Amino acid sequence: MTNPRDTDLIRRLAQDAGPVSRPPPPMVSAMIWFVLAVASALGVVLVMGLRPDFSERLGDPLYLVEVATPLMTSVLAAAAAFCASCPGRPVWERFAPIAPLALWLAALIRHAYLAYSASGQQALMLEIDAGCLPKIALIGMLPAVLIVLMLRRGAPIAPITTTVLSALAAASLAASALRLVHIQDASIMILVWHVGSVALIAASASIFGRRLFRWPTANLAIADPR
Amino acid sequence: MATCSPEAALEAGYHHPRRLPVRLAREEEGLGAESGPKSASAQDARDQRWQSLMQASQNGDRAAYEALLTEIAPLLRAVTYRVWRSQQDVDDIVQDILLSIHTVRHTYDPARPFTPWLITIARRRIADAARRSSSISRHETLMDVLPDAASSADHQAEHVSRDGVEHLHQALGQLGEGQREAVELLKVRGLSLKEASALSGKSVPALKVNMHRALKSLREMKIFKS
Repeated sequence: MTNPRDTDLIRRLAQDAGPVSRPPPPMVSAMIWFVLAVASALGVVLVMGLRPDFSERLGDPLYLVEVATPLMTSVLAAAAAFCASCPGRPVWERFAPIAPLALWLAALIRHAYLAYSASGQQALMLEIDAGCLPKIALIGMLPAVLIVLMLRRGAPIAPITTTVLSALAAASLAASALRLVHIQDASIMILVWHVGSVALIAASASIFGRRLFRWPTANLAIADPR
Repeated sequence: MATCSPEAALEAGYHHPRRLPVRLAREEEGLGAESGPKSASAQDARDQRWQSLMQASQNGDRAAYEALLTEIAPLLRAVTYRVWRSQQDVDDIVQDILLSIHTVRHTYDPARPFTPWLITIARRRIADAARRSSSISRHETLMDVLPDAASSADHQAEHVSRDGVEHLHQALGQLGEGQREAVELLKVRGLSLKEASALSGKSVPALKVNMHRALKSLREMKIFKS
């Protein structure tokens, strides 16, 4: 039997219930975001200027893998974020970006190992390249805002996870775009500065999870009859 | 005993704020007295009915929506009652869950089962309530013996005595309906103005006015010494 207090509220909610438009499925939302985000990132890349040896680098399979794997991470992190904002979906979907992320790391580690085998300790020299973090943040800013706006249509059932996945999606896309601009191919540098920046951005975004994704307020027009 | 915050538990994919982990199927089975294949088919039939009611609700069928909310309210009450024992808490949380369902009803995908969608939202709101409650507990101290009122003039001004608490309850009873509701929602339940507005159906300015008048009335009744 329904509680009388519930009955009052249910009546008011039913009076307020108009037709609603459903958001697209998570993968479709992720692809829409990805297309817009890539366009935005390419715009920033063109403003910053392509690296001079870009056409030569396109012939290097290792370079292509290192550009493609963060892009895959970005798509799957976005899809996972959209899944995490749909109640009732399986939790494993939230771990989808782990596979391309592992591939990205594996490609960089393998590249670093090959460089070490060819040139010895010289290949593992780490220099300070503090420009990576602000550049990744700059390229990823618009995609990040866009994905947050799109995700706010969902349900905030896992706000921190959703925020981390959104930040991962935007930052890994930006890291991939940065390879088109930045003349930096030393894998150890990319591992530390690019992947490190992505990890830092994704981790620090978790602080804002509950602020970014809140339960929407029901604007019930009709007062409770007393 | 190891403790885990409800928020962290839910983010990690666990579904229950107190007893971790509890499977959805187990939870649902526990809600009914039936068991075995018969129970499973009854639950399937129930889910299919709720699915079609929700689909109709998303298309603007208010009667279907009212029927759906009326049918799910006892389930929500049962799920909440497993975690919260106080009748008042259960009432409040069930109302929060109903409001949350209302605001994110567009996120339900009719191609997927309804009950997991519903239970995910319910668990999230139960966890939110637990977090809110633990936050209140952190900031409030229960005292068996109140400090000696004569020991400090400042303390005398800041603390309400036991008699004062009773007096406060009596004074709340003397307030008008709107003022009492504002105090209960904003001060006793600690809701935000938006949440209180959604729950009461009153506008934010109206709630502010009622709260202001209630505080003025309580001051006139000498409930507050400062």
